[in-house]
Amino acid sequence: MFAVLHLADFPLHAVLRTERGAASKPAALFSSTSKKSVVLAANPAARSHGVELGMTAPQAMARCPALLIRSPHPDAEAEARAALLAIGFTLSPSIEDTAPGICIADVHGLDPAKLEPALHRATAELHALGLPVTTGLARTPLLALYAARCSSLNTQPSTLKFRSPVHHVADEKSFLSPLPLSAADPSPELASIFHAWGLRTLGDLHALPRDEIVRRFGAEGLAFWNRANGGTPRPLHPVTPPQTFAAAMELETEIETLEPLLFLLRRFLDRLTLELRASQHVAAELHLTLKLEGDTQHARSFRLPEPTADVEILFRTLHTHLESLSTAASIVALELRLTPARPLVRQQGLFETGLRDPHGFAETLARVSALVGSDRVGTPQLEDTHRPDAVKLIAPLAVVPPPAAAPLHPPLGLALRRFRPPIPVRFGTDDQRSYIWSDTVRGEIAAQNGPYSKSGDWWQSDRAWARQEWDIALADDGGLYRLIQIGDAHFLEGEYD
Amino acid sequence: MSAASETLAKLRRQLAERFPTAPRTVGRALRTDIPAIDNTTGGLPLGAITEIVCAAPSCGSHLLLAQLLTATRATRTRVALIDSADSFDPSSFDEDHLAHLIWVRCASTTQALGAADLLARDANLGLVFLDLRRAPEADLRRIPGPQWYRLQRAVEPTDLALVIETPRASVPSAQVRLVLNTAHSLPALARERPALTLELAPTLQRQRQSAAAAG
Repeated sequence: MFAVLHLADFPLHAVLRTERGAASKPAALFSSTSKKSVVLAANPAARSHGVELGMTAPQAMARCPALLIRSPHPDAEAEARAALLAIGFTLSPSIEDTAPGICIADVHGLDPAKLEPALHRATAELHALGLPVTTGLARTPLLALYAARCSSLNTQPSTLKFRSPVHHVADEKSFLSPLPLSAADPSPELASIFHAWGLRTLGDLHALPRDEIVRRFGAEGLAFWNRANGGTPRPLHPVTPPQTFAAAMELETEIETLEPLLFLLRRFLDRLTLELRASQHVAAELHLTLKLEGDTQHARSFRLPEPTADVEILFRTLHTHLESLSTAASIVALELRLTPARPLVRQQGLFETGLRDPHGFAETLARVSALVGSDRVGTPQLEDTHRPDAVKLIAPLAVVPPPAAAPLHPPLGLALRRFRPPIPVRFGTDDQRSYIWSDTVRGEIAAQNGPYSKSGDWWQSDRAWARQEWDIALADDGGLYRLIQIGDAHFLEGEYD
Repeated sequence: MSAASETLAKLRRQLAERFPTAPRTVGRALRTDIPAIDNTTGGLPLGAITEIVCAAPSCGSHLLLAQLLTATRATRTRVALIDSADSFDPSSFDEDHLAHLIWVRCASTTQALGAADLLARDANLGLVFLDLRRAPEADLRRIPGPQWYRLQRAVEPTDLALVIETPRASVPSAQVRLVLNTAHSLPALARERPALTLELAPTLQRQRQSAAAAG
């Protein structure tokens, strides 16, 4: 058995699926954007307004003023083709990219009971991806193609009523008989001769003796006869599953706002995640490149906390970044590349304290980073120096390590609450009493410890530091502070708290 | 119990009966190993806000933070510290007690509240510590009341404890309010920190009754 996924007016739908809401509006595909160009394809909404193939743009606009005029877009077609094949791979590993908008899958191995539900699912998924395909299922690839074409709304003759987008040809003879002769693609000469004979349907042709057709029309007649009978099963030209997972598009209209960009990225991700799943991979990293007007670009990579092929998680990762992004110029092209990885298959340890929701955690951190700055969020790590306040932030660990043994000598006293930068103070003495003054803290020093001299990096002239420290208690508010002297200047470095 | 508290408890009981599947962390708490807190409130309530009012300078609020870091480190529970005035000093703490900490260094009170709103919803955290101790008085006054209730709503369905440290009572939606009002003296700087921690004696100023407790 063979299944055919068929998309009528493929180039038009390939373009329309890149714009939100365009598929429901009257739209036509023109050979170019000039006035002399003619309609190559029109969607049902445009046809209902009287737009027909071969019309010029002014003629079409006269009939349908709201007509969307689009021209063929090779990138969009490549993207739509890839999406069609990606869904094809969910049906069978042996699929053929027969022509633009036609994908044949060899479904001999599938359980017959599951076949039609699988085809309905594939068709629905393609509809969700903006590709309104019809599907045929039959004994031969050609017959399945006829069935898919007949299910297509645009090509369905009035005598045939296939309501479902999936048509299973069980009785070949009764299926083929009402089909018009044109369904089997006769040459113009044959078509005119048969028309003159009064033959209108394939059933009319089948009523004639095969040998007589061959005797009169030779090899061409035999080939047509075979096509009219639905052909024979043949080996497919199999498509190799993609090894790289990337999508790119040059835009005809520059993108200036977030919404159309997200729409396109969602389309990319829908397709790429299908390909990932079909090849038993997950995404470990995302690489987004936005090419801007003026030959500049914005590139950003996102390492996922846990590799995944979940489209919602991947999309959220991009969304979170893009909603706080402002580019200097409008976007003229975009590229999204996924780094594939094998999925991690392991059971979480009973006492393992990994993240409950790694993607949620990454997203929360990304949002907090967008709020306060990416260099101001993380796990603090002390640097290997005695220089005061030498600390750096690292990315939080995926798994919190077991606690180390308690230190032999526990820390002393209260922790410091730092003033960043230190508060300059004036220091003075009067009759054996000492005072400090600043805008925020002032008063008599009731008690003090120190001074403690500290210095470091003395071997590097540009990094050398030296200071004296006192721990002081103020009489007025009772607070404990660290007073430091650097050169002749005094500062409050923090409050012990 | 006042009439208003009884009515509120009754209303909560009715809601709990009507929506039994709603996540509740009522009655569960994060133990601090500080006797004065654990013995009076049972610890820091999960899914609720605890306000620590630092009414005096050097009252030991970072001592409390150090103890919370120690307690959560033992259970390998992740902690987020939202530092509104960028005053946290990691070198004052044992480095091993920072391995589970996410430090958010904010430049303003507004940033800190925004970060708290995001982190309080994260299922991976066990404790979120919002430090507003050095937030400017004018900023604290400008925080609208609904903002605090929004934080309460954010934290309610989670399993985390949200601790907010303020210079004066400011959080109307806090379930527990503890006041640290004793300044330490200079000799305290020479004493071992665990001994100082055990001596911390915050005053319980508010403990709202939960539906479970009331029932």
